[in-house]
Amino acid sequence: MSTPTRTIRNLWRIGIKGYFQQMNSIGDTKAGTLIGMDRFGNKYYENFEEELPLRTKWVDFKNWYYDASEIEPGWHAWLHYMTDKPPTQDPLLQPRKNKWSPVEHVPNPTMSRAAYKPYSTVQQGRVQSWAPVAKPRECSA
Amino acid sequence: MLSITRHIAPVALSTPASLIIPARYTVRAISTASEKKAEVAVAQRSGEGQTSPVPKAPRREVPLPSQEGTKGVVQYALTTMDQVANWARQSSLWPMTFGLACCAVEMMHLSTPRYDQDRLGIIFRASPRQSDVMIVAGTLTNKMAPALRQVYDQMPEPRWVISMGSCANGGGYYHYSYSVVRGCDRVVPVDIYVPGCPPTSEALMYGILQLQKKMRQTKITRMWYRK
Repeated sequence: MSTPTRTIRNLWRIGIKGYFQQMNSIGDTKAGTLIGMDRFGNKYYENFEEELPLRTKWVDFKNWYYDASEIEPGWHAWLHYMTDKPPTQDPLLQPRKNKWSPVEHVPNPTMSRAAYKPYSTVQQGRVQSWAPVAKPRECSA
Repeated sequence: MLSITRHIAPVALSTPASLIIPARYTVRAISTASEKKAEVAVAQRSGEGQTSPVPKAPRREVPLPSQEGTKGVVQYALTTMDQVANWARQSSLWPMTFGLACCAVEMMHLSTPRYDQDRLGIIFRASPRQSDVMIVAGTLTNKMAPALRQVYDQMPEPRWVISMGSCANGGGYYHYSYSVVRGCDRVVPVDIYVPGCPPTSEALMYGILQLQKKMRQTKITRMWYRK
C-alpha cells in the first residue's frame, strides 16, 4: 500500500536516481537500513518499522536483468525469514567445510557454457527404427 | 559436485572447432576474451593425455553465439534493433496453455493474484494462432501427441516451448507406460525444461524468466547479417 506521503518521504530518502530505479523495477519506493552486500554486489535492506509484514526485507539487485539464483543460500534464508540474523552474523550460516559442499555459490549456469547437457536419447544413430523381418511360414502339413 | 561438472565441456565443444565452424568464421568466432581460458584448458588436457593411452585432440574453447562480442558499425546498429525486438518479444509472452494433467493446476496458480503473471505481460490465449509460447503441462500420451504437434505447427513464428513437469520432460512417473510419450521433446523442440512433480508456480515463473533471458540473448538480425 503506497500513499503519496509515503512515496514522497521515501523519494526524499533514496534520492531521484533511486526513485526511478525502484519505480522501474519493483514499482514502489522503499527505504530501509542497509544490512549487507553479498559477493555479487546485491544489497539487502530491512525496515521493520514502516513496511508491512512480509515486505520488511528486500534485495536490491546489482544487475538490471537479474537472476534470483544470484542470491546466496544464507541471504536467501535471511530474506525468507528463516533466520533473524543475516549470514554475516549467524554462526549457523557460515560456510561449511564439508567435502561435498561447493567452494562458493554458483548461480544458475543455464544459457552459459557450463549448462547441463544430458545424454541425448533421440540423437541420430542411437535410436534405430525397427525393421521387422518376418520369417516365412514353414508349412509342414 | 558442481565444481566438478563445470569443468566438463559439452560433447560438441570437445571436438575440434574447425569441424564445427567454417574456416572463414573461425577467426571472427573466437573472441579475445576466451583465449586465456582456452590455453588453460589445453594445458589441463595435455596433462591428462600423458596418462591415457589414446591421445585426445587438444581442447578448443568456442564461445557460444550469445557470448560473442560486437564488432563493426553494422553489428552495433543491428544489436540495437535486436534489443528492441527482443524487448517487445519478452515483455508480451502469450502462452498457449496445453494443460494435460496436475501441472496445469500449478500453471493456473501462476495466473492468480499471488504470482500474477499479468505483471510480466503474460496472458493465456486459447488459440495457437495468437500465441508465442506453448507450456506443455502434464503427461503427454500417445493419443494426445498428434494433437500437440498439430497445435505447435499452428503457432506462428517465433515460437517457444516450455516443458513443465517431469512427465513432459521425460515421461516421469509414466515413463514405462505403454501409452505415454517419454518426454514431449520427442514431438516438439523444447526451449525450457521445468523440473518437478508438479513444479511449483514459482518454478514455472522462474522457467519463464529463463525463457525471457534466452530471448534477450537471441541475435535475430545479427545472425541474418552474418549469414
